Amino acid sequence: MSEKRYKLHWITAILSVLKSVKDMIVPILILFFANGLNSVNTGKWYFDHLNFIIFGFLFLSLLITGIIKWKRYEYWFEDDELRIEYGLFVKKKRYIPFDRIHSLDYTEGVLHRVFKLVKVSVETAGGSTSPKAEAELTAITKEAADQIEIEMADAKRKKSLVNIDEEDVEGEIEKVTELKPVFAMGGKDLLILATTSGGIGLILSGVLIFLTQFSELLPLDRIFEEVSGFIKYGLLIVVAVLVLAFLIVWGISVVMTFFSYYGFSVVVDKEDIVITRGLIEKKRATVPLNRVQSIRIVENPFRQLFGYANVVIDNAGGGLGDGARINLFPLVKKKNLEGSLLKIFPDLIVEEPGKKLPSRGKRYYYRIDFLWMIPVIVALTYFFYPFGLFSLIIVPVVVLWGLWQQRSAAYDLFGNQLTMRFRGFSLQTAYLMKKRIQSMSIKQNYFHRKKGVATISASVKSGMGVFTAEVSHMEEAEADRILGWFEPSVENQVQNDLLSEEEIGKA
Amino acid sequence: MREQPANRISEKGLRVWRLYGIMQAILVLLLAVGVGILAYKYEGPWWVYAVAIGIVIIYPYLFVYLFPKIKWMRWRYEVRESEIELQHGLFIVKRTLIPMVRVQHVDTSQGPILRKYNLAVITISTAATNHQIPALVTEEADELRSRISVLARVAEDDV
Repeated sequence: MSEKRYKLHWITAILSVLKSVKDMIVPILILFFANGLNSVNTGKWYFDHLNFIIFGFLFLSLLITGIIKWKRYEYWFEDDELRIEYGLFVKKKRYIPFDRIHSLDYTEGVLHRVFKLVKVSVETAGGSTSPKAEAELTAITKEAADQIEIEMADAKRKKSLVNIDEEDVEGEIEKVTELKPVFAMGGKDLLILATTSGGIGLILSGVLIFLTQFSELLPLDRIFEEVSGFIKYGLLIVVAVLVLAFLIVWGISVVMTFFSYYGFSVVVDKEDIVITRGLIEKKRATVPLNRVQSIRIVENPFRQLFGYANVVIDNAGGGLGDGARINLFPLVKKKNLEGSLLKIFPDLIVEEPGKKLPSRGKRYYYRIDFLWMIPVIVALTYFFYPFGLFSLIIVPVVVLWGLWQQRSAAYDLFGNQLTMRFRGFSLQTAYLMKKRIQSMSIKQNYFHRKKGVATISASVKSGMGVFTAEVSHMEEAEADRILGWFEPSVENQVQNDLLSEEEIGKA
Repeated sequence: MREQPANRISEKGLRVWRLYGIMQAILVLLLAVGVGILAYKYEGPWWVYAVAIGIVIIYPYLFVYLFPKIKWMRWRYEVRESEIELQHGLFIVKRTLIPMVRVQHVDTSQGPILRKYNLAVITISTAATNHQIPALVTEEADELRSRISVLARVAEDDV
């Protein structure tokens, strides 16, 4: 109990209230509109203003719980552990050994920046069942955040001193210089990123909305001649509104992307990758290098046109979604990519995968799609006779797309690295290390077997989930070779053979 | 092409799958009868009966006889010193390789039907993926589970 205990900044209470309000925004709005609109005068003031009273009460209780939570939240350092005590009714304690902490991620919201505070998320190894961080210090001063790092460094130094007495560790620790960013995004790149991000999803959803509107309009009016004028007019309005809505949504997404990726930079700090970004809400995430499970280059066709790509890494910690799949380089010129990537991962072989797929596998890239295409086309043609015939267009589109995927796919083995390239819509090149691959599979159906092609897939850990890279319909023998590359007993055998050869040589 | 893994799953597994198939077939039969009654009541077209009867005949053949048989024939597994290999699949045959070093834990489980047949399911978990071997005789499953866990521990020491 001798250790000094620390509290969070009082802004925590307000932040917790804001967060609760944000979480309950839908019920609050419903209550507000349901109650607030029909304001009848019943003569009793507490009845007339019932909703305000409810809101007031709710807000007050939120504020009080927020304050109590803040009052009760304490953290301190003891026995090389970060210890936290918190809880509104039930007092909870959480002790996190410094060794287990993989990274401290910092976020600065608007309120934080006014008071020079940061939110610190403590990330430990994956395996915690919740997708959230192990512990969150909602608002502490920057000095306090630095102190946690100092305590952690101290603990680690003590440990290493105990382990290796003779080695001189002193000099190493003093070197806290400003590190040069390995990667930074300029204004132009940022603008391109903002304008092209999410573009395809938005366009597709726009088209989809348009199509649903279109198909709803058509069957309703059977007598086309009479109402064709009206339809044209109606369609025009619908299209105009849709285009406008699309532009607005797109504009919002551009601005939001711009803010969240402003000042993006990547720094390698000893064994960690540190990613900083954000204009209004500043974020700093740390990924230990040895937690990186896979490196992927994603090339969206539109960006590919301008020679841009996007690099993603899979992190072993960090829960689901965002924490696991990290945008290492959100947008990078392809010709600069290799240099920056090698600065972070010196062992990576960023060579183009040279092995292509046999052309006899082409048909399998689109043949299975006829299973759904034919019924869809038949149904569309039957129900919307003349216009339904347009659905025939999907046949060449799907076939060409399949051929495109086949042509794009490639793979190669470089020592302990497997490179797999495949296309869904965007082209992905995944660099997988043998020691990071959790399991591999080969898939074949009857027809594939007859033609001697096979699909190979490799799974790596990505946060709590899994990322699977898959190259479809490659040469069967090659798939076997890759599986053999992965198979430990085959590898051992080769090593044993080499050893015994050496022995023979010695003898 | 590589050799198939050596071991098959228990023959009783086939019986259990057939049992599942029969249960599904009964459901399908009830559904078909329901459709038939509705069609009779609302004077539906003749082909509704034809389709219903067709499904009632074909479904049991596929799901009670043919598919379980193919599935059972396909299911192979092999636990070697440094890896586990699985093969399964009805139309698409999938062969999976899991190095022992990656195995995090092994579970066995059995539901009421499996227990009646003295069978168990083994689930092998890596950090990212889960793999199952269905329908092994309980003693065999227990033995395999402890063997895998011993091998996985040894393998981990090596790295």
